[in-house]
Amino acid sequence: MSEAWQAELDELALRREASQRLGGAEAVDKHHRQHRLTVRERIDGVVDAGSFTEVGSLTGQGRYEGGRLTGVTPAPYVMGLAKIDGRPVAIGGEDFTVRGGTSWSGDRKKGGQGGFVEDLAHQYRIPLVNLIDGAGGSVTSIQRRGHAVFPGVHGFERSVQLLGEVPVVCAVMGTAAGGPAGRAILSHWSVMVKDTSHVFAAGPPVVERSLGQKVTKEELGGPQIAVVEAGTIHDVADSEAACFDMIRRYLSYMPQNVWELPPTGERSDPVDRCDDALRSIVPENRRRPYDMRRIVRAIADRDSVFELQPLFGKALITCLARMNGTVVGFIANNPMVYGGAMDVKAARKQSHFMELCDCFHIPIVFLVDVPGFMVGKDAEAAATLREGMRAVYVSLQVSVPIYTVVVRKCYGMAGMGTTDKNGLDFKLAWPSAEWGSLPIEGGVAAAFRREIQAAPDPKLREAEIEAELRASASPFRTAEAFGVEEIIDPRETRPILCSFIAAARNRLATTLGPKPKYGVPP
Amino acid sequence: MAGVELKADVTGSVWKILATAGQQLAPGDTVMILESMKMEIPVIAEDGGTVAEIRVTEGSPVTEGQVVAVVTG
Repeated sequence: MSEAWQAELDELALRREASQRLGGAEAVDKHHRQHRLTVRERIDGVVDAGSFTEVGSLTGQGRYEGGRLTGVTPAPYVMGLAKIDGRPVAIGGEDFTVRGGTSWSGDRKKGGQGGFVEDLAHQYRIPLVNLIDGAGGSVTSIQRRGHAVFPGVHGFERSVQLLGEVPVVCAVMGTAAGGPAGRAILSHWSVMVKDTSHVFAAGPPVVERSLGQKVTKEELGGPQIAVVEAGTIHDVADSEAACFDMIRRYLSYMPQNVWELPPTGERSDPVDRCDDALRSIVPENRRRPYDMRRIVRAIADRDSVFELQPLFGKALITCLARMNGTVVGFIANNPMVYGGAMDVKAARKQSHFMELCDCFHIPIVFLVDVPGFMVGKDAEAAATLREGMRAVYVSLQVSVPIYTVVVRKCYGMAGMGTTDKNGLDFKLAWPSAEWGSLPIEGGVAAAFRREIQAAPDPKLREAEIEAELRASASPFRTAEAFGVEEIIDPRETRPILCSFIAAARNRLATTLGPKPKYGVPP
Repeated sequence: MAGVELKADVTGSVWKILATAGQQLAPGDTVMILESMKMEIPVIAEDGGTVAEIRVTEGSPVTEGQVVAVVTG
């Protein structure tokens, strides 16, 4: 007995089954042997169990015998709608087991630049997760189409638009070159996987032909270059599974789009928790560095700290965290690296993080210990001054509140970039704080050169002048003049910040939406 | 057993050397202190061990990433 439409439903089942098989058992086995998961396994690994609703599952190349379907090679991209922590996301990735995840020419693109998955994120204002595993265009497309495609026909315009609308996360899961590599950069946060992923503008064969350089994929675009040295990608995961956890964690701090506030987390850590350790972490000897990350952890909600770019620009620490459940961005100078001086990498990291927080209406807490811009010939050659001033420029453009907490040093132009000049300009300082246009020990020798040289014991005179100036530079004297709004016991940092951050919610909730950009950043 | 190379985190100079070759170190012990940007930057043997080699002298300049000591486990 045959049901209505039975033949058609059988064909649908056959086509769906083919799409589940990806590039076939042999190709999938080979992929697994290289310790890589398939795109379907990856999507399942990232999203809530059973939440993936695929779109475009029938796409591909059908094979027919006498008009009857015998099989389908699926399109090398899998995508759709899913949920992460109960919230909808658009997610997709190349299927490396079908022609190495190269592009496919259907009537409409599924993924990549301008694909359906990007339209889904844009139209529904939900985050986009790109699982990248493809090398982009192939010269064989000229043969297929009969003409060469002009760059930008499938352009980045939607990818760029998304960066001002919804959180975009890109995970480089395999080798990414060309367009897919470009897309990895057009994200708010990107991650790659140790040993199995690489990212570059062009791979070793092109490099050898262009420059005669022989390099391995790992040397050219492994995490040591892409994450640690260049900061091209924001972080590296130890395994694909760890990578999926990191994606979920990052998105847990993000709103669905710029028209909403970030989700409020648990409020289980008491607002009035005053950690005694905060009194003793900063050494009295001002030449001694200390562990700034301990300070961040002591102030933020317990276990809420997620560090971004931990391996790049290590003179600066950037973390997403929560304060009484409200998402905040922590920026902290790291005295362990060049005394926290801002170098070109730290400046880039700070600019990006401030723009990220501004875009998604996340208030910023700045724990300041910065002696200024990094000095020296290498620093100048690397354009520290320009990139550092760009960070200052960005700090003057953001409209989220910036809470300045001066832990120790706050000097010079880098120090200017730590305050909320366009907002309340609310600055707290610990008793260990010191500030000025430049550190006393550097300035005395130059400013009092004649007096020091004329003294019977120049070294002694220099030390005397330093001691005199240091007494006048006490933070309490600036507080007398209301040049800093409050000096606090370090233990009180959390309760004070929590109350001001909670009070800022009214402002944040009434200034939602995309942030217009103007001017020409230096 | 292969040694662990301790590297300078920063470009600067060697201010004080605290450990000597052959000395036993507990995890987290400071091997030497570098000076950079007027800050004392400790070089720490995270896992402890025996000092196999000190490759620098007090006052000598160091560059970021330079191996300053070797510790065996």
